[in-house]
Amino acid sequence: MIRIIDKESICDFKSMHPSMSLRDAVCEAERCLLCEDAPCSKGCPAGTDPGKFIRQIKFKNIKGAARTIRNNNILGSTCAHICPTDKLCEMNCSAMKLEAPINISALQKFAIEYGRQNNLEKLESSSGSGKKVAVIGAGPAGLSTAYELAKKGHSIEIFEKEKMAGGVPAWNIPEFRLPADEIAQDIGKLRDLGVIIHTNQHINTLEEVDKLKSEFDALVVATGLNKAFGLNVFQDAENVTDYMTWLKKIKFSNSEMKTSVANKRIAVVGGGSVAVDCCVSAKALGAAKVYMISLEEGDDLPADKEEIRLAQRMNVIFKSSSMIKSIDMKDGKVSLLRGMEIAWKEPENFNPSNATEVEGTDFSIPVDYVVQAIGTKPDYYNLFSELKLGPKSCFVAEGDEKMWASSGCTFAVGDVVNGGATVVRAVGEGKKLAEHIDKFLARGEI
Amino acid sequence: MKKADLSVNFCGVNFENPFCLSSSPVGNHAEMCSRAFDAGWGGIVYKTLNVDTSFKIVMPSPRLNAYHYNDKRFVGLQNAEQITDRTLDDNIMDIKELKRKYPSRVLISSIMGFSDSDWEILAKRSEDAGADMLELNFSCPQMARKDAGHRIGQDYNLVEHFTGVVKKHCSIPVMAKMTPNITDMIPVALAAKRGGADAIAAINTIRAITDIDIDQKVPMPTINHQSGITGFSGPAAKPIGLRFVSELYNSKDLALPISAIGGIETWVDALQYILLGGDTIQVTTAIMRYGYRIVEDMIEGLSDYMIDHGINSLSEIKGSAATKLIDPSNFDTRHQVVSVIDSEKCIGCGQCYISCQDGANQAIVFDTRLRKASVDETRCVGCTLCKHVCPVWDCISTRTVDTRNQSHAAIF
Repeated sequence: MIRIIDKESICDFKSMHPSMSLRDAVCEAERCLLCEDAPCSKGCPAGTDPGKFIRQIKFKNIKGAARTIRNNNILGSTCAHICPTDKLCEMNCSAMKLEAPINISALQKFAIEYGRQNNLEKLESSSGSGKKVAVIGAGPAGLSTAYELAKKGHSIEIFEKEKMAGGVPAWNIPEFRLPADEIAQDIGKLRDLGVIIHTNQHINTLEEVDKLKSEFDALVVATGLNKAFGLNVFQDAENVTDYMTWLKKIKFSNSEMKTSVANKRIAVVGGGSVAVDCCVSAKALGAAKVYMISLEEGDDLPADKEEIRLAQRMNVIFKSSSMIKSIDMKDGKVSLLRGMEIAWKEPENFNPSNATEVEGTDFSIPVDYVVQAIGTKPDYYNLFSELKLGPKSCFVAEGDEKMWASSGCTFAVGDVVNGGATVVRAVGEGKKLAEHIDKFLARGEI
Repeated sequence: MKKADLSVNFCGVNFENPFCLSSSPVGNHAEMCSRAFDAGWGGIVYKTLNVDTSFKIVMPSPRLNAYHYNDKRFVGLQNAEQITDRTLDDNIMDIKELKRKYPSRVLISSIMGFSDSDWEILAKRSEDAGADMLELNFSCPQMARKDAGHRIGQDYNLVEHFTGVVKKHCSIPVMAKMTPNITDMIPVALAAKRGGADAIAAINTIRAITDIDIDQKVPMPTINHQSGITGFSGPAAKPIGLRFVSELYNSKDLALPISAIGGIETWVDALQYILLGGDTIQVTTAIMRYGYRIVEDMIEGLSDYMIDHGINSLSEIKGSAATKLIDPSNFDTRHQVVSVIDSEKCIGCGQCYISCQDGANQAIVFDTRLRKASVDETRCVGCTLCKHVCPVWDCISTRTVDTRNQSHAAIF
């Protein structure tokens, strides 16, 4: 199965992942070796269990496959669209030793769509436990924790500051990579279980937190990373923005952005998947030149290989192994970036302090907009002083698997603990935390 | 390029190669047959003729359904095709034309009568038109009449009788085509021999049901909400064809040449039939799927095999595998093997482990840390299930165990 990059869909901001036909799915499932130890299932942090759902597809139990995904992963459809499968489920696929690994994400998507078209029944929760849990933040970790707890019969209310649930996948992932409807369908499963999602509910005072603590048996903090990092050099420049604002605008004010970005020169600072999304989106909007300026280069770029191929296909200009040294300003806007190429003093250490400038490599890039995609950090840690704070303003993980933080009836999970990771990992950590909270609630400890 | 002599003498008729079209839609009329000869086929068994005044043929539709196995399409084909629906005059004219145009190629007229006089007319007119041989269709599974098709092929007396009628009215060699829809083909073939048949053709298609529409709850092909048990052919039918051909060859009483049919697509399939006793080879389903062109690969492949193995004539190897078939109760059980897994080639999927655990003797050890399978020789009974399920074709082999000096799990 060839994975095609569909340039046209990207420029139209429509899903770049074509749906698999029944024929393709049957052929792909047929290639699966149905391994005894299913390395694919071991490679899924959320426990989606691809080894099982591929077997179900192969044995013509496609509705069963859809059921497996639904039961195991609240964000099954989201993950099918955005998971870096080559680093997870497909990484140790035995079929790779014969030919290519099984295209697991496409099969996952196929099974989910089949379930929708064939009236897969809604999930039912077990009878009410009488326990109430509040979750702050409707991102992947919060949603996953809520889903698992709701399945066990607890009453769940989620408090989300934005007008829509979903977190990063809903706001910051371009439509061509993840159509909004997919995450909406995933979240719909929570409503089936009676989970209440309060949107536009910004919990940001100690009083509000205390109120939740008094009304609920447990409180889950899944507020994610909200503060974008920025380079000092860009302070006060009007035409510099962070990736969150940039991607959100493209997703929800697309035509407006088209007008302002078309035929312009954009520089994106960063080398991760998010930077690639910013670059590709800009190209899709009709930007004349898009530069991706990163410290890393080639295989060291943190972005996925597939994403880098996508950026190459979209004619993004890679300014790798490069560092911005100074800027020219004009009317309060950055007009020119000046930089140099760098080399690393020690290998495998991509910290700016480990870089040396390479003489004679000075470059300058005229720009109309600059987008910074160099990371984010948590914002609301001050509200939960009972949780132990670690480096980078994240809560310190505990438990055997180090997947969540806790103190009394307050628990934290997701990016706010792990410092920023994949959606599928947040789902997995949410599931683990839910198991722990379920036991905690059963013990009746407060 | 050196070419081997693929010619075959079959009932005194010379075939430049053993590859023939079997009687079916692939030999419907002169234009098709011309293209088949041009492609290189050694002989054609023309689509079965009948006396159109005694029985009018109307084909059902749809009349085909393929048997698919997961991603593997067309593993077999079910057909509800009838004998020719063209007039006898048209077909005779075509046969004449083909013999005029291809005098050195073999044209076999397949015939089916519904009475003594039908058989007589068809035999005479075929011979007069220049047919080199006759094939008596005693085996069409779609022909539901008591006195025609496979119903004759199940009735020894009718086979003998109609063969006798044909033999009385023609001088060209006659072969009788057998139905596999019978427990033992030998008595029927012997009846044909008693009637004077010069050769046996086998097998015709196997009565079967390939698929059922589970929504409509009706088998396929669905002909206006109904279906029928009809003839099945193609690669999935080959093992059954091989069995019948070997039995015909191994029958000392029969001792007639055989035109072998059943799921042949490649020169290897053809060679396997020859090694079990076939003289000529007949093909339809593979042509329906891939076209006449496949004969090029059959000719080239078989020729290379003969040269590589120093074979001058196919008659040298005919039946050489059939003679090695013995009664399963006489197998030498002192000879035992154990499986050997090539650790370098093992990709660690554990399919052999699963199969041995649940379908054999729990003799495979799967190291989940190293992701490698190995054989516990004290438990291996040498069934070779592991070898057959392994996705790496040359990873698992067998080693013979000297059971005089070494114990073996199968013997205790």
